[in-house]
Amino acid sequence: MTDAHVVGSGIIDFGEKYEWSFDDLLEGAYLDLVESVDHGINPTADIDAIWYGTLDIANEGSSGASVAHATGLFEKPATQIVNACATGSDAFRNAVQAVKAGDVEVALVIGAEKMLDSTEGLIGSAALERVWRGRGVTMPAFFGMRATRHMDQYETTREQIAEVSVKNHENGTKYPHAHQQFECSVDDVKDSATVSYPLNLYDCCPVTDGACAVLVTNDERAREFTDAPVRVAGYGLSTDSFMRGDDLALTNFPASRQASSMAYERSGYGPDDIDVAEVHDCFSITELITYEDLGFCEQGEGGAFIDDGIPHLDGEKPVNPSGGLLSKGHPIGATGVAQIAEIFEQLRGEAGDVQVPDAEVGMQHNIGIGRNATGAVSCVNILER
Amino acid sequence: MSGPRYHRTREQDQRLLAFECQSCGYVSFPDEKRTCKRCGDAPATFEEVQLAERGEIKTFVVQEYLPDDIEVPQPLAIVDLPQEDGSGESARVYGLLTETDLDELSVGTEVVARFRELFDDGERPINSFKFSVPREVKR
Ligand SMILES: [Zn+2]
Repeated sequence: MTDAHVVGSGIIDFGEKYEWSFDDLLEGAYLDLVESVDHGINPTADIDAIWYGTLDIANEGSSGASVAHATGLFEKPATQIVNACATGSDAFRNAVQAVKAGDVEVALVIGAEKMLDSTEGLIGSAALERVWRGRGVTMPAFFGMRATRHMDQYETTREQIAEVSVKNHENGTKYPHAHQQFECSVDDVKDSATVSYPLNLYDCCPVTDGACAVLVTNDERAREFTDAPVRVAGYGLSTDSFMRGDDLALTNFPASRQASSMAYERSGYGPDDIDVAEVHDCFSITELITYEDLGFCEQGEGGAFIDDGIPHLDGEKPVNPSGGLLSKGHPIGATGVAQIAEIFEQLRGEAGDVQVPDAEVGMQHNIGIGRNATGAVSCVNILER
Repeated sequence: MSGPRYHRTREQDQRLLAFECQSCGYVSFPDEKRTCKRCGDAPATFEEVQLAERGEIKTFVVQEYLPDDIEVPQPLAIVDLPQEDGSGESARVYGLLTETDLDELSVGTEVVARFRELFDDGERPINSFKFSVPREVKR
């Protein structure tokens, strides 16, 4: 069986793209990808299949044909993937599986989301349409409940949670495609408006439009496109719900533990081998918990992990050098693809001001909420130089 | 917003009727389904169990930012409600709280279910429970 390799990536600047149509987003990321391929690409001849990640919040039609129309790549299998906030990373995973199986030689993975076309935004739609039998649970509430419990059980402090946002906003000022480019302090985070106690506005990622694309191919074709392909070493996907009565799920995300275990096992790597990670930080608390779920530190020690500066850009294990969702933004379908693109750049030494020195193994991680907000999905991919 | 789903589980919501998996002991509320959400038993055998009205907050938040037509602050908790006869496991439920004072709320606080009109779905009032801190427990 062949390995799968990432051989190109393209992205548009994330932000408020009201003046861009949905097709403009897809076209922008796609053109950037086409232009980025080191040895060039003849897209209509070279690309065999397309995986397209979007929740289609902008209601632009749910089918792979959206990509065909935006790019001109007709007469090819094009599949839309929907998997909550892990949509983009699962689109990537599906393409990787098809390439590894030998059924597809060259796959385009593209993710896009227009989050700002709806007046209510996601928080509103979550509360109104996914009311859990009258007991409204919003996204910030969902993650905030873990924060409350984590603080109670492990003496994690409000300041430690805020530090995640401080770190990611600092990184975001150095990352060219980030939506929100400003620095903030722990006090700024604590003084920003309360969204859902204990989380404040600066603990939450912004509402952002964006698109990103990567090119995946097999052993045989990889060198045709670049001298520096990045190998996909492993992946995992799992689901869980904290209503199943598992107490660990009150403070953590068991699905992330399962998905990362699968990816570690497939790749032969462990948590200590990861040089750089792009993880899901839709809220500050999500990243703090994720340090534990991915095995970067022990259960309950996420607060100390950030306090000690380990996930900082100049720390021992840099997490979210791109500024993460907190700074870069979270256009759902594009999010996971953009994380893959960042790890691709990191492993090739092309990450500019946020480059982690000598990164050889990188991890990408998403967690998503679904099923009346009671379930969770997690997707993890490991890449290596 | 789909109206019927609030009415589908009216009996469970108003009587705190739950369903215990006979294979792993998981207590499902308010759903009564034919598969177990914990052990995956399929088909599963569920027996009706009565939940107590008093339970314990496992974690909570106080929502401040919600669409205009939802009242804020709106506290929301995950509460474990034990079985009335003291046997078996608790059911883990979402519940709105009546209390908004952070000093009165913490992980481990005892709360009691109070049945009331939660909101109006346009045609009919939706009756279910909210959790309150019992008077004798209040600080
Ligand atoms: Zn069971």
